[in-house]
Amino acid sequence: MIYLDNGATSFPKPPGVSEAVARALANPASPGRSGHKPALEASRIVFRARKKLAGILGKADPERMVFTPNITWALNAAIKGIPLEKGAEVISTALEHNSTARPLRELEKAGAIVWKKIHPRENGLIEAADLLPLLSPRTKLLVLNHASNVTGALTPVEKMRRLCPDVPLILDAAQTAGAYPLEDFARHADVVCLTGHKGLLGPTGTGGLWIRPGVDVRPLAVGGSGSNSESLEHPDFLPDALEAGTLNTHGLAGLAAALDYLEERGIENIRRHELDLAGVLLGEAEGISGLRILGPSGNLENRVATVSVTLEGYSSSDLSSALESGYGIMTRAGLHCAPLAHEASGTFPGGATRFSFGPFNTPEDALAAAAALRELSGKRRAV
Amino acid sequence: MERGPNPEDGRGRGELVLVFSTNTRILLAEELLDSLDLPFVLIPVPKEVNPNCGLAMSLQEEDAELVMPVLEKADLRPKDVYRRRGGAFTVQPPEGGF
Ligand SMILES: Cc1ncc(COP(=O)(O)O)c(C=O)c1O
Repeated sequence: MIYLDNGATSFPKPPGVSEAVARALANPASPGRSGHKPALEASRIVFRARKKLAGILGKADPERMVFTPNITWALNAAIKGIPLEKGAEVISTALEHNSTARPLRELEKAGAIVWKKIHPRENGLIEAADLLPLLSPRTKLLVLNHASNVTGALTPVEKMRRLCPDVPLILDAAQTAGAYPLEDFARHADVVCLTGHKGLLGPTGTGGLWIRPGVDVRPLAVGGSGSNSESLEHPDFLPDALEAGTLNTHGLAGLAAALDYLEERGIENIRRHELDLAGVLLGEAEGISGLRILGPSGNLENRVATVSVTLEGYSSSDLSSALESGYGIMTRAGLHCAPLAHEASGTFPGGATRFSFGPFNTPEDALAAAAALRELSGKRRAV
Repeated sequence: MERGPNPEDGRGRGELVLVFSTNTRILLAEELLDSLDLPFVLIPVPKEVNPNCGLAMSLQEEDAELVMPVLEKADLRPKDVYRRRGGAFTVQPPEGGF
């Protein structure tokens, strides 16, 4: 099997991850709820994962790193938790995943916000300057997808931040965390949302949001926190304020092991490795008849290693199936939970077929993908 | 470095129990004190002082002069501090006084 669906979830996980999960499962306790030894061990697992995940953002304060089951929860928590006055204007890219688009749509439909979108240029890239005409004194929130899970295009978050440093900025780092250095993003964003199972190489059911000091995020859910138990009111200090209920200790044990691996291998090294592979596929794919590559071409610095294509004569799902049955190549077809990005790319509603590389892919994998596309293109002409 | 709690050490001094607002803070404090080889031990929060589930930090009173300024400096001041004598707990003043 050649696994090229790391944008959906990474595979394989690094050495040590499944062992760490198994060890945690052998421990009977829940973190922060009891005072006995196994409970202390569970608290330590969570603490270690918290420090390591905050470490992705450089010197970010681990107390402000809140765990969630995934980034969908984190984005909902941030988008619905930052208090906005009625009629506030919210700006996002037109490349958002549904985990941002749907909460924004919900608020828009309720008449709570006015939602504006920055469209990519012809070359598939979002230009920071295109934010300017959308800004107004009523702009109260920016929600930006750091890299498109469809086209791989990176959003120039740092530049956009400079254009409106006082507007709270929520970053969807689902496709960049672990694949792109984020050390400076505790500065460039007010809330950074993460998911553990993609580039961070951890188990599913892990994720979080880091909240900059001074930013107020109200809880989506309240309940048991292991702190302030005497009160019927949920604690208002982080991370407990946004963590109601028992955490996924087992998953977080695996996430911490995955973060050890990322640290050892180096995120910049992983970025170079993955971009090399995307470069091989993009280079080899040039000139394949009937093949269209979505999003930015040329300069690899503007992207992550996600490449979506359409091939004339094939629906996105037929192409994906042909790649799997004929070549053992796993891809993802369809709309990738991001209809907006496909609309912007002219591939709605049919979607596209996505190849997404991970740290364990090899140049041979990229060459195999290109060769398969070439052959399938040839077969199409023969029909 | 860990030293077991010693409620009465014969010199008339006792044990201090430090309660932190979150588990994250107590574990940050643990990491810091461990790195400096300062003596303390983590214990279940005594139910007499705090109804919370979770952990507290126990110190010998004579070590408090070393430990408290370190916590203070790292912005890891405990939420509450109690002195334990036998089974009785008394709240300690928030500033100094150790
Ligand atoms: C850009 C982006 N945001 C959000 C998500 C949602 O991730 P999760 O399902 O882990 O919440 C994904 C992936 O599915 C994504 O690619």
